[in-house]
Amino acid sequence: MIASRRTLMTGALTLGAMHLLPGLSKAQARLLVFATFTGSWEEAHKDVLVPAFRKATGADMVLDPMLSVDQIAKVKASLANPPIDVMLHDPGPALVAIDQGLVEPYPVAESKHYADLIAEAQIPTGPAPFFQVVGLTYNPDKVKTPPTSWADLWKPEFKGRVGITNLNSTLGTGFLVEIARMHGGSETNVDAGFQALKDLKPNLAAVAANPGQLATLYQQGQVEIGPGNFNAIQILKARGVPVEFVSPKEGAIAFKTTIHIVKNSPNKELAFKLIEAALSPVVQEKLMGSPYLIVPTNSKVKITGEVAKVLASSVEDLKKKFVFQDWAAINKQRASWIERFNREIA
Amino acid sequence: MPAYELRLAAPLAGFFALFFLAPLAILFYVSLQNGAGLDLSHYARFLFDPFSLGVLGRTLLLGAEVTALCLLLGFPLAWVYVRSPGWLRPVLMLAVLLPLLTSVVVRTFAWIVILGRQGIVNSALLSLGFTDTPLRLLYTEGGVAVALAQVQIPLMVLPLITALSRIDTNLDDASLALGAGAWRGFWRITLPLSLPGIVAGGLLTYAAAITAFITQSLVGGGQMLFMPMYIYQQATALQNWPFAAAISIVFLAAVLAVVSVFNALGRLSRTHADA
Repeated sequence: MIASRRTLMTGALTLGAMHLLPGLSKAQARLLVFATFTGSWEEAHKDVLVPAFRKATGADMVLDPMLSVDQIAKVKASLANPPIDVMLHDPGPALVAIDQGLVEPYPVAESKHYADLIAEAQIPTGPAPFFQVVGLTYNPDKVKTPPTSWADLWKPEFKGRVGITNLNSTLGTGFLVEIARMHGGSETNVDAGFQALKDLKPNLAAVAANPGQLATLYQQGQVEIGPGNFNAIQILKARGVPVEFVSPKEGAIAFKTTIHIVKNSPNKELAFKLIEAALSPVVQEKLMGSPYLIVPTNSKVKITGEVAKVLASSVEDLKKKFVFQDWAAINKQRASWIERFNREIA
Repeated sequence: MPAYELRLAAPLAGFFALFFLAPLAILFYVSLQNGAGLDLSHYARFLFDPFSLGVLGRTLLLGAEVTALCLLLGFPLAWVYVRSPGWLRPVLMLAVLLPLLTSVVVRTFAWIVILGRQGIVNSALLSLGFTDTPLRLLYTEGGVAVALAQVQIPLMVLPLITALSRIDTNLDDASLALGAGAWRGFWRITLPLSLPGIVAGGLLTYAAAITAFITQSLVGGGQMLFMPMYIYQQATALQNWPFAAAISIVFLAAVLAVVSVFNALGRLSRTHADA
């Protein structure tokens, strides 16, 4: 086809007008947008959750992976017409999103799977489809004796080999609270934790800007040991990077990761169906398999494989082995901790 | 100036008003919000806080370091380009432009590999016996400056090439014939005449270096705080939009001040060149 200049111009103008007046093309609503996390989560959800959603609804959807805090910023900036339908949150940001009225309560009564979740995961503002687990990660080629306790990070032999993240992330904040507890502090008093971080300075090879970056530093040999997310390293491990995970004897830290329908979402019905799929035993069982090893919350899922070996043999056993933190208390002071980290550790 | 020229600029002016000035006005309004009322408390909090001022100072200093490094490395390159034979020029130009053709993220990751504990630099130093333990190069201000200089150097070299190729080569010959040495000729003739290029290149590298969020955070790590990361932290991790907006406005004002210094230098150099 030979397009004349006139038809080209008309086409271009029409396209331009459609951008200027999005209302014109709004008749066909946009696809469901799920803001999952970057890295392992994105790969796992693309591979398992999205196909399950397509099968269940016949509709298509879009993954737009980003950090919890970025999801909140985006939704808050356009609350009347949010660009995201389903948010995924770490415990701290989840409370912020709920406080600021960015989420729709979950229609518990209509849900097929909600009642099957373990008690900790049944949250009416948005249930938890999985737990994130933070323990010690290390490079088995360089660290011959596996660490057993958070306290091992302070050993002189790890001088210049430890990697942590700053407090912008849940991982960094959770780690601070845990080491504060170890030294007699708590969620409301982390002074001891800050002192411990200062003492850790000689051992630090990196303070990564975010957990994703921290995980890649193992690949580059920049760091050899540190607090790490069980799932963030699985993708690296599957690609042959020498990195291992152990639960410290104090107990691995567990974060309830919650999934929420965004307030004013134009796709509420589909959003509900996506979350239902994420709670279903079929999807959770698949996500628990290799290489994702995502910790399930549905009590109908029988824990097997690597998750059973490294973390816990049953959902009940999980509750005993994991340390849950009080994020409502943490959130109250988190801003001042971030300031303090800027000043004292940076 | 004939009226039609201004009319031709109207679409762009409208575009700027809608997508640049209006958001800037909103940003300023947000920076004044304090609870229910409006005041300047967020500005006061920044301007009377030594820590925040330190972050601003470090960021501006980083820009100066990167600009100086780019000039030091870029000037000889531009000079060689202008003096090289015609067949070599496309090759050199490709070498200059190559960094612009790769994504900043990729280039930055390459620097992590180069500067890391097991990176190229440290492996070489270790195997040559210059050091026993790997040096700390990554997550240092020097590391950030070097990485940024490599990323931004085309922005310096291109204006320099333009400025240097405008200089009449007869001037060099004339100064030699009149008895000036090569260095004296450079200081008295080439350098002053290339000042417009230096100013333009400096302005571009400076602005790009201080706002380079990706390179600053990846090579600088979570311990080194520069203004872009400070703004991001306040806006997203802490959800403190008014303070983040106030910091942004202060940063903008500081950058404008530096830019006006560059501009003054540029005017000075033009009068110098005309004289």
